[in-house]
Amino acid sequence: MRRSLAALLPALGMLLAAGPARAADNIVLGVPTALGTIEGQDSLRAAQLAVKEINEQGGVQVGAVKRKLEIVSIDTREAEAGVPVTDALAAMEKLITEKKPAAIVVGAFRSEVLVSAMDMIARVKIPYLCTIGMSPVFDDKVGAEYEKYKYNFRLSLSARYLVGNLGKTMSFLKTKYGFDKVYFLHQDVAWAKGTIGGLTKVMEGAGWKVLGSDPYPTGSRDFSASLTKAKAGGAQVVVPMFDMPESGVLVKQARSMKVPALVAGFISPAAPGTAWATFKGDIDGLVNFLFEPGAIPLPSARSRHFTEAYGKAYGEELKNRISGHGPGPSYDAVYVLAGAITRAGSLDADALVKEIEKTDMEGAVGRLIFTKTHSVPYGDDPKAGGASIAFQWRQGKRVVVFPEAIAEGNIELHAR
Amino acid sequence: MGGLLASTLVYGLVSSATLLLTALGFSLTFGLSGVANFAHGGLYLLSGFTAWLLMTHLHLPFLAAAAATVVLVGLVGALVYRVVVMPVRGIHLAEVISTFAVGVAIIELFRWLGFTTYDYVLPVLVEDGIDVLGVTVDWQRLIIVAVALVLTLALWAFTHWTKIGLALRGMSQDEYTALSVGIESDWAAMLSLALGAGLSAVAAMVLFPLGIISINSGYDALLVALAVTVLGGLESTAGMIIGSLVLGFAVTLTGNYVGPRWGEVVYLGAIVVVLAVRPSGLLGKSKELEERV
Repeated sequence: MRRSLAALLPALGMLLAAGPARAADNIVLGVPTALGTIEGQDSLRAAQLAVKEINEQGGVQVGAVKRKLEIVSIDTREAEAGVPVTDALAAMEKLITEKKPAAIVVGAFRSEVLVSAMDMIARVKIPYLCTIGMSPVFDDKVGAEYEKYKYNFRLSLSARYLVGNLGKTMSFLKTKYGFDKVYFLHQDVAWAKGTIGGLTKVMEGAGWKVLGSDPYPTGSRDFSASLTKAKAGGAQVVVPMFDMPESGVLVKQARSMKVPALVAGFISPAAPGTAWATFKGDIDGLVNFLFEPGAIPLPSARSRHFTEAYGKAYGEELKNRISGHGPGPSYDAVYVLAGAITRAGSLDADALVKEIEKTDMEGAVGRLIFTKTHSVPYGDDPKAGGASIAFQWRQGKRVVVFPEAIAEGNIELHAR
Repeated sequence: MGGLLASTLVYGLVSSATLLLTALGFSLTFGLSGVANFAHGGLYLLSGFTAWLLMTHLHLPFLAAAAATVVLVGLVGALVYRVVVMPVRGIHLAEVISTFAVGVAIIELFRWLGFTTYDYVLPVLVEDGIDVLGVTVDWQRLIIVAVALVLTLALWAFTHWTKIGLALRGMSQDEYTALSVGIESDWAAMLSLALGAGLSAVAAMVLFPLGIISINSGYDALLVALAVTVLGGLESTAGMIIGSLVLGFAVTLTGNYVGPRWGEVVYLGAIVVVLAVRPSGLLGKSKELEERV
């Protein structure tokens, strides 16, 4: 028995040695995000799709060799009510410490976590390509202390660009229909507060009368207080800004309370293609933003490829449910990183930062370039940067109404 | 009438009925058996997903799915007693911890199974709405008020006019005396948990159609049930009704006149203030009796 154990030991040693050696060949990408959310799950799938495509081509060229990519993920649970920022950061630190990723993609779901995660990234010094967190503080921090925060990049829409796109949509409503009274309802979280704060300034400056602006805690299920005030005040437009499942109540309640206003903003449960069946037509007339293309692709080969490839990889049902925020930029983030690694010829973080900054390529969300504060700019021209899409639900179809370059029609008031 | 005052009255009543329905199962179980069933939120969520699964996969009509769900979840409640509570019966802290663990396990199981998308909805019983005091309110919310009222009256009648109800009340008043007249303690406690679980399912069947069945609603249901019963008095039905009215109107008033974000503070503030000033709740007697002894 002793002899057989002794014979096994070298074999065991070889196995142990072989394990890490195999893993070391792969370039590890960390995905610490809220995997309990639709956005988190879809973003992880999108990043995995990009990894699969790249690996099928042999991997990423690093100097003279090609190395495959590998994704390791961890659920930060940051979108769940009551989970503190520190818990999400602890999960991210665990992933970085144990798996030693060469870079992070997707990253923080909540802006509160993103802003804090930037300091951890400044300490561990690896590229961090976030694709969900929206806070404008991201740009402020990179702009104020470039050397410290230079490893952070954002490929998704930020609240600042969302304000710009919403402002253009509201300007259209003012010009075309003469609207000038608006009521805001928003989730009491950083990105939504930032967006509504910025939009309030823009719209007041453009002559709109803001009748009210009510923050709701995550998980709220009764919006009658604001809807009553909006109705009594004669609001012509109600702007919701929510990424929680419970905001589906708002759509139904606005309909049942017969609020005679156009609802135009962001309600995450009303974004997927399956929402019409879910809400049984209660969303007819609703104008909803897709923060980035993906659920509805841009009319470019690259954008269409992502949506179609997603469907082939995960099935038509999941393709029909792609969320409006996260998947497109997550797919692009892996390609941006792969391109930077190839150009740098190494995984050195500082070299990668320089190469990521030089990125100029077509992605699923539009043109991928970075501003001085490391964000992809989002506007109404997909050839100049990323483009968000606004659509209106009409008889079960999502009709694109923004940006003008790809719009299938204008906003209509038929369902008011 | 219209306006904010009328809205406060109408939606305050709806909010109170919602709270009452959510708390009814939790309060009934505690009132009849002394078991604080902290799995209440998990059972509420289980009810929503069970009905959805029955409708989607077995193609049952909503009312049939709802009736089956109430029975099934009631049985789960009985099972929770037999498997989890009975071995630790009488050790209050162990009862709380074990039922809480069951509730969390149910909720997190659904999260793990991927029930996090936006597809889980139950239909409203009647579409559209009507004007009450000049305020438009949908029929589903009026149904919630009616169901809360009917259930409360029915439960009162059950516990006061039926043999089983009287036996359960007898058990809750003095377990040893009840045993001496042939009321079996474990049977009564198991029945109270089954009834409480069934009531949480009824609440889920009328409340979930307002929106989407989301994972966090399980935790919220437990928080609401705790706030209402702590405020009204853990073992008092009248206290629970008053607690629901106080909290419901306080939350609506706060939402209408201060801001919706402060509504959550009202729940938690009510628990803290009542525990500090009157630990038995508005109509509860347990602490007073304990101090007298």
